[in-house]
Amino acid sequence: MGLDYAAVEKEVCKKMTAETIVSMIRILVFPGALFLFTLAFFYEWVDRKFFARLQNRYGPLHTGPHGILQPIADFFKLLSKEDITPHASDKLVFILAPIFYFALPLTTLFVIPILSQTSLISFEGDLIFVIFAFTLIIITVFLAGWSSINRFSTIGSMRAAVQMLGYEIPMGLVMVGPAIAAGSLSISRIVEWQSLNFWLILLQPLGFAVFTVCLLAELQFVPFDIPEAETEIVAGWRTEFSGRKLALLRLGRDLELVLASALITSLYLGGSQQFWLIPPIVIFLVKTTFAVMLLSLLRAVFARFRIDQMLSGMWKYLLPLAALQIILIQLGLGG
Amino acid sequence: MYNDLLISLPVVFFLSLVVALILYLVGWIVAAKGEKTAGKGAPYACGEDLPPRKFQVNVEEFLIYAVYFLIFDIFAFTLATSLKTPGYFPIVYTLIVLMAVVILMPLRRRG
Repeated sequence: MGLDYAAVEKEVCKKMTAETIVSMIRILVFPGALFLFTLAFFYEWVDRKFFARLQNRYGPLHTGPHGILQPIADFFKLLSKEDITPHASDKLVFILAPIFYFALPLTTLFVIPILSQTSLISFEGDLIFVIFAFTLIIITVFLAGWSSINRFSTIGSMRAAVQMLGYEIPMGLVMVGPAIAAGSLSISRIVEWQSLNFWLILLQPLGFAVFTVCLLAELQFVPFDIPEAETEIVAGWRTEFSGRKLALLRLGRDLELVLASALITSLYLGGSQQFWLIPPIVIFLVKTTFAVMLLSLLRAVFARFRIDQMLSGMWKYLLPLAALQIILIQLGLGG
Repeated sequence: MYNDLLISLPVVFFLSLVVALILYLVGWIVAAKGEKTAGKGAPYACGEDLPPRKFQVNVEEFLIYAVYFLIFDIFAFTLATSLKTPGYFPIVYTLIVLMAVVILMPLRRRG
């Protein structure tokens, strides 16, 4: 009878508040939003610098040591610019598109294991969610271009939608490859499986190659930058965006780059695993930096395809390769 | 359990939207506010004077890819959800899909 209910309640409340604060810090600061922003800006710098060095240019140079702060400076400059909404545009979609283009990759990054082998949000089937999120990003791109009522934007958004018909299927197929090997549709489980067995790049090199090419298309990087082909259609689907909207679009693109490199790392390069005394986060950063550099290398050595070349090439070469990889896994090779 | 509820996809997505809105608001506060002129609100057109109209892009030649896309999208999903089934089931699926593609080939040539 000596139980003091008020004290117990107070204790529970205190515990819940503490838990809430810890959770909020994990979502908003580390390894959540703020950390991911820093990573996004850093990888944009890595991409730009490496790309420039491959072309025998210097790249960003003046802001911070070796220009490392340049992407952040660009972001704040764009935020402080005048935001122009064309009269003819579909206002609601035009305003909402950059917000969703930014929020979708940010949300998806939470299912990727960064700090340890288990991600912040992990459930059976989060791999399917990632595929779904990639499709949603392209739909946002399409709506962004379509709502601008500008001929360059319309052509850009149509190209983005048509391009999606090409790379989405090979990408979906090879993303299932690691899942079949690990026997689970959860990215955390796939990483765990790789720490006990081999890295999947050794078992499924074909899948890794196809996945990398498809990610180039997803990121609209050079051989597949058809939706925003600078020399043909100004800035493609982004033509009418300016000021804070363009800032959000660019940060969204950087987050997508982080997502792409994190996916390569988690699905094929063993993810964030402890190696000797080195903590998993350092391993993860090294691997993702390598993945970003691989993507920039491919961006530098190819020239842009035409949309019909891209589509027929994807269906003629990439899809059979992806199917071959799946068949090989099912026959017991590569998993 | 309470913690699981807080760190879940819908909550994180909602918080991401809030972060985006905050950045939007910051942009609205710090941005330069220029005067609105007719030229500024007109669509960008490389110096040409074009009326802002919706227009249709003809993508008919890519229709066949859309059909393939439908077939393979279902295939990929079936494959993804048949993880625990024995090895030959997915191979049978694959063969059925390949057959469908072969049957569709003449359609493409005629188109």
